Amino acid sequence: MGGPKPTRVSNRIRDLRTERDLTQADIANRLGVTRQTIIAIEQGRYSPSLEMAFQIAGVLEAPLDEVFTYKGDDAK
Amino acid sequence: MNNIDPECAPQRADDDEANIPMTGEEKIAWVYGITVIVTSGAYFLYIATQLASHPVDEIAWVVPLIITVVASIVGTIIGTIVASIGGAVWQGVRGRFEEPDFTKDERDLAIKLLGDRRNFAIVSVGLFGALGLAMLDVDTFWIGNWIFLAGTVGAILESATKVRAYRRGV
Repeated sequence: MGGPKPTRVSNRIRDLRTERDLTQADIANRLGVTRQTIIAIEQGRYSPSLEMAFQIAGVLEAPLDEVFTYKGDDAK
Repeated sequence: MNNIDPECAPQRADDDEANIPMTGEEKIAWVYGITVIVTSGAYFLYIATQLASHPVDEIAWVVPLIITVVASIVGTIIGTIVASIGGAVWQGVRGRFEEPDFTKDERDLAIKLLGDRRNFAIVSVGLFGALGLAMLDVDTFWIGNWIFLAGTVGAILESATKVRAYRRGV
């Protein structure tokens, strides 16, 4: 079976929300999504839409590129 | 807001991901798959036993098929309710009660589309097969059951695809 399917988008949501004293449930409630979706994004099992990515960055009060990184950029 | 006690912050953000209950949509995917396997399995078992002892034109298949479809729908609804109550009770027993979450978000939609696409592929192949059977003027018993088999396989694949996507990622 192997492990969870990774996306090519990595993120720092866990670090940033820890710094801001936010739980996954806090972010999920503010965005109107399930906590499982926040977990899936944090673990790299789901790449959010651009709109949700901006919303997450907004909740974390951080620029988008500080929250999300595209792994394809490493090849440059 | 950023002025936090460094000893407290990691604890607050350290959510227990291993014990989080399924969302309502994931429960439905599980229950739907299991229900279809049980109801359609019973139907095809019935058909197989009838085929072994009766000529095709003597087998009553229309009413059992309709009953199977209705049972799948009703079973999924009741099963989802039971699973939600059971899940809540289980969470309560473990002292970690969280209300069942039936929120639908963009991830649910992405997973739904993935499942629907797989289902559609199987059903399309099934319909072409049924078209071929009709062209060959085969008995309606075979055409009807071939279509139902395609629908069943498609539904099971849809459910499995959704569960896999919820567990492993989209």
